[in-house]
Parts: sequence; structure tokens; C-alpha cells
Amino acid sequence: MVIPDAETEAALIAKAQSGNRNAYGELVRHHYPGVINVIYRMCGDVELAQDAAQDAFIQAWLHLPTFRPGTSLRNWLYRIAINAALDVLRRDTKTADADFETLSMPDPQAGPEAALLQKERTVAVQQAILALTEASRSVLVLREYGGLTYHEIAAALDIPLGTVMSRLNYARHQLKRSLQPHFIQMEIENG
Amino acid sequence: MANHVTEWLGAYHDGELRGARLHQIEGHLAECATCQANLDELRNLSALLQDTAPNGDFLLTERFVANLALSMPRGSEQPQPRNALKIGWWLIPVGLLGIWLFINITLLLGSVVTLAADTGLLGGNLAWLQGNPLQMNWFATVMNLFGNQLGALGREILSALNDANLFTKQLAGILIPQAILAVSYLGWLLSWWLRHQHQLSQITVSFPQS
Repeated sequence: MVIPDAETEAALIAKAQSGNRNAYGELVRHHYPGVINVIYRMCGDVELAQDAAQDAFIQAWLHLPTFRPGTSLRNWLYRIAINAALDVLRRDTKTADADFETLSMPDPQAGPEAALLQKERTVAVQQAILALTEASRSVLVLREYGGLTYHEIAAALDIPLGTVMSRLNYARHQLKRSLQPHFIQMEIENG
Repeated sequence: MANHVTEWLGAYHDGELRGARLHQIEGHLAECATCQANLDELRNLSALLQDTAPNGDFLLTERFVANLALSMPRGSEQPQPRNALKIGWWLIPVGLLGIWLFINITLLLGSVVTLAADTGLLGGNLAWLQGNPLQMNWFATVMNLFGNQLGALGREILSALNDANLFTKQLAGILIPQAILAVSYLGWLLSWWLRHQHQLSQITVSFPQS
């Protein structure tokens, strides 16, 4: 995928803001992988993530005139994506029993035992993330899977920088506790 | 080793620390096995989170974009409130400059016409335009009522007060509107500059890995 420079993206945003659907399609094309990844980590369910991603991009289209040119579209979309993911989760009450069988494709080149291990690890990680509070999970997902800086997270979620740090520390502390057996396994694998 | 830096390890791991704080944490880590072990755990955690990233479960980008195009509300050619606001924003200085020009042209024309009337170029029909009144109402009233009782000095003082009053009245009539316009225009300029600086500080756009 060709990654546009800031100038190209600004031109696409300007066109999309004036109602050009093709320009918006281009923007969606560029940002879909990041947005779906963030939403998936918030939901822990592929189908829900897909629905939430669609909701998020429709919301973004409807509110695009309010987007301020010169600011980061990615951060703006991630903010909408987080809200869409939380909305979908609230609507869907069966998420706690999400179908973790379909969470991740095991590496086909790994042996059956390694593939099983990887799948178990994936399930454990996703369950641990879902066990976090919404506030902590949002910060963790934007940092670990969205790649946002602390300042960008603070701006996207409209919270102070100190709150970003404390929520992230809390989330990581919780994850370390719940994923401790997998760390041990990783250390054994890495010798 | 006491004074562990546990609460800063996450920010250090994420590359968020700068300057003195960064040096402090680096110095501490070089000597503290406990904090170094905590940092290693953080790195392992990030590696574990990344290791379980989904790979290929989602709709392909083109398929998603096509589906989205079908679901997007039609006929919502984006409303123009932002454009209207933008135009309104730029109309403010234009309007202020327009008012300023109007006032100054009016004053200039007024002066020319008054001068012409004073010198008789416009004939006697426009005598009402000649010059400004030389007496304030209060001065005329006082002089009518008490003029004969006042001495020469009193009349001089009253006359000086009358002249000062006439001068400040004319000056205020010209300066106050222009001062209001100038302050409004400078306020708009300051606001524009602050917005411009804010946008410059946020102009760096980065993109997610694809």
C-alpha cells in the first residue's frame, strides 16, 4: 500500500470534506488496517470489530466537516474507533463469551504443538486485555497496537498526560500478573 | 537499592522520556537489578502482545471499502457549516477595514465640503455647512444668564473651557470609532496568529503500519 505524504492526505481530506466519496474511500483505504486492529483489540471479536469499524468510518464520514485540517486524521479516527468499539461491546452482551477459536491464525509453518501453544497464548492475551477496564484498555490498545505517543493518546481520549501514564502502568501491571505463565513459557522457548 | 523508578519504566520503555528524567532513569537502571528486571518484563509483555497480533482474519481492505461505500449515507454531500464559518472568519477583517475606509472617506469628504462652504465656493445655499459651532450649549446658556455679571477673567476662563470642550468633542468623535476598529482588528490578528501557531504544532501527520 502506498502511504501518502501529509500534503496528499491533506488534499484528500479537503476533497472528502467537500463531499467527494472517492477521496474518502482513499482515506479509508489508508487507515483501515490501523483502525481495524485497534478496534479488534478493544472488542476481541472479529465480527464485532468489523461492524464497529464500519460504524466508525460512517461516523467519521458524517462528522468529517468538523475535522480540523492540520491535525492528525489517524488520531481522530482512532478516537472514533475506540468509541465505536465500546458502543458495539455495550450493544453486544455475549462478548464475554467471544469466539476465541477464531481469534488468530496460527503460523502454518510451525509444528502442531507450537501452533497450539501460539493459539493458547493468543486467547490468553485477548482475554487478559478484555478483562481490563474500558479506560485502561483504551490507553493500552492505542499505545501497543495503535502506536500513538502519550501526547497523542491524551489528545485522542481527551485526558491528561498523567492519566495516560497511570492507566498504562495499571494496564501493564494487570497484564503482567494475568499472563505470568506465558512469560515463563516464552523464557523457556527463548532459552 | 532504594528509590526504585518503577512508575517511570513504562514511559522509558515507550521512549517518552527526555532530558534530566531520561538520564536519571538510565543511571538508575545501570545500577538497579530490580528495575532492570521490571523493564525486561515490560519488554517481554510488549513482545507477547505483538506476537499475538491477528493476521488475516479481517476483510481485505478493498472489500471493506466496497462494503462501506454501499453503507455510507447517500446524498449527504457534506454540509457547509465549516465553510460558512471559514468565510465568516475572513469577513471579519474585511468588514473592519471596510468600516474604517468608510469612516475616513466620509470624514475626508466632510472636511472638503466644509472647507469649500467656508471659502464660499459652494455659494450661500450651503451656509449651514460652514464650520463647526463655536459655542457649546452650556457656554451659550451661562453667557446669556450670567455674562454681564462675570468679569473679564471669568469670561476668559469660560471661553477656554468652551474651546477645550469643543476640541475634545470633535477629537472623540473621530478617534473613538477608529480606536474601537483598531482594537477589534488587532484582536482578530492575535486570534489568527494563535490559531496558526496551534495548527503548526499539530501539523505532523503519521500513518499506521499497513
